[in-house]
Amino acid sequence: MIRTAPEETAGLKQGEGFLSLRGLTRRYGDFVAVDDFNLDVPKGELVAFLGPSGCGKTTSLRMIAGLAPSTSGHIVVNGRDITGVPPYQRDMGLVFQSYALFPHMDIAKNVAFGLEMRKVPKAEAAERVREAIAMVRLTGKEHHRPAQLSGGQQQRVALARALVVRPSILLLDEPLSNLDAKLRDEMRNEIRDIQKRLGITAVFVTHDQMEALTICDKVVVMNHGKLEQMGTPHEIYEHPKTAFVAGFVGRINRLAGKASGGVAEVAGLKVAAPGFNGPVEVMVRPHRVSLSTDGVQADGERHALPGTVTRATFAGDILEYEVEAGGTIMKTEAATRGGEAVLAPGTPVTLSWRPQDTYVYAAS
Amino acid sequence: MTAIDLPVAGKRPMSPTAVVMLLLLPIAVINAIGFLWPVVNLLRMSFRDSEASGALLETSGLTTWINVLSDSFTLDLITGSIGVSLFITVLTLVCSYPIALYLHRCSGLWRTVLLVLVIAPLLTSAVVRTYGWIAILSDQGLIANALLALGITPPRLMFNLTGVIIGLTEILMPYMILALLSGFGRLDPRFEEAALTLGATPWKTFWRVVVPLTAPGMALGCLLCFVLAISSFVTPKLLGGGRVFLLATEIYDQAIVTLNWPMAAALSIIILVLFGFALALYTRALRRIA
Repeated sequence: MIRTAPEETAGLKQGEGFLSLRGLTRRYGDFVAVDDFNLDVPKGELVAFLGPSGCGKTTSLRMIAGLAPSTSGHIVVNGRDITGVPPYQRDMGLVFQSYALFPHMDIAKNVAFGLEMRKVPKAEAAERVREAIAMVRLTGKEHHRPAQLSGGQQQRVALARALVVRPSILLLDEPLSNLDAKLRDEMRNEIRDIQKRLGITAVFVTHDQMEALTICDKVVVMNHGKLEQMGTPHEIYEHPKTAFVAGFVGRINRLAGKASGGVAEVAGLKVAAPGFNGPVEVMVRPHRVSLSTDGVQADGERHALPGTVTRATFAGDILEYEVEAGGTIMKTEAATRGGEAVLAPGTPVTLSWRPQDTYVYAAS
Repeated sequence: MTAIDLPVAGKRPMSPTAVVMLLLLPIAVINAIGFLWPVVNLLRMSFRDSEASGALLETSGLTTWINVLSDSFTLDLITGSIGVSLFITVLTLVCSYPIALYLHRCSGLWRTVLLVLVIAPLLTSAVVRTYGWIAILSDQGLIANALLALGITPPRLMFNLTGVIIGLTEILMPYMILALLSGFGRLDPRFEEAALTLGATPWKTFWRVVVPLTAPGMALGCLLCFVLAISSFVTPKLLGGGRVFLLATEIYDQAIVTLNWPMAAALSIIILVLFGFALALYTRALRRIA
């Protein structure tokens, strides 16, 4: 494990990242929850920590907030190493999954709490509380108790409470997972709008890949405490570096094959696999696979695989097929245009896709 | 043939209210015989006239009540008992709160073990536990000997108010801890974390978040301990050694030693009234908290 010495971190230049993690590690006995996490988040960017539960994303967020100790490594904000600083001196705004609004205080008092702790003069505090409540469109609810508000409203109060203190970094821990689907889309856009308007650096933890892709500037995909890939939503989706990222972000078809001499043989297809030798996994996303009944032949332009329809699912906006091909079940999906026939199971078809939509990974 | 089942006489189900009434009847009867009737008797007794020898007369009057409410001894007794009980209640709260808070945050086997440790004293009677304190607090007791060995003259810890307060506080602690725990349901560690990230120091977090959220448990525990303290008899009797005058011990003396039953009855009624006040105060406090 490479660890950055403290003196190096102290000399970290601004511009490398407003928020920087250097070799951040958290161990519980033998279990490594977060392993040598390095990250630079430029000022004003929203970065999403994406991964399955237990991947270390929440632990990382809690270490940034100062609520969980780190075993080793450094957290640097705006050039200042805050690794040992207690949470109440870190100047972070944290929005909890459960909102954690104080049940014994009304909305205005909840929002004012952080200002009161920072000893902001009363008149200024009142004005800022009023602004913050207006920003999340809850004017008129100042004297309601949290329990009297809906989940979405509570979420907005939590956001106002975290932002009213003008924190250097906004941390969001699965803030949308307790909301229903429609409200989730609305809140996601609202959080993004507010974050952009304030130009605040933010970290958004989620296990929902759709949420991560749509809300952030950069996605950090994590698995087993390790950073798998970091990049823009486009990079993550179109150029997944690892089989895990390809499988976790978006849907994927997997074909097992064997590579030698830069070419992978999979289900009778020859797929370019530069640098691979031995067993490989070849992947392609369902919506990049076309399905035809005309018996398209493989050529330089497309890979083609014959198969038989086993299941057809008409979902209104899309038509999904499961096709037995290449010794496995391949999925395809296509937007419906209206009028197309739904193929019956048993229909022989040919699947085809472009070589650039094909991902090859060493089989694990 | 008709498709509708007409109600059949004798099979008609009882109305829900009737069922509730029927189910409440046994406990209502027990309460009437075991509580209401004795209280009525006490009330009647407190108005009976008696001779100086203690012999009860057939006539009734306000003599006893006038004595009770005008005699400085009984008035001091009442205010003193309230004061001591309040002090014990606060002391019990202060001693029990950290334990309850720790227990609330424990989980699994460790929590079970600690809970059993908290509840275990309740399995022995207060009499036995009081004798235990005598062994510790007496002039030849554990503390006195330990202090003597260190060359310090030990203070008197028994047969005075100090002993009563030490003993009662320990005896009431399990009740307080259990009451506190039952009222800690709203205390989620996320609230404390939220306060910390908002810039509250642990000290501020405790006073602004933890204490308000645990207030219902504190109110319940205080009510329970106050009521138990002011009506406690064995511990003040044994650890007070007849030198500490509290309502319950005085009632015993009046009833058994002096044989002044009307006086004992009147003082008992006063304790009941104090319970009523405590309960009213508790419900008001609870409404303000919630």
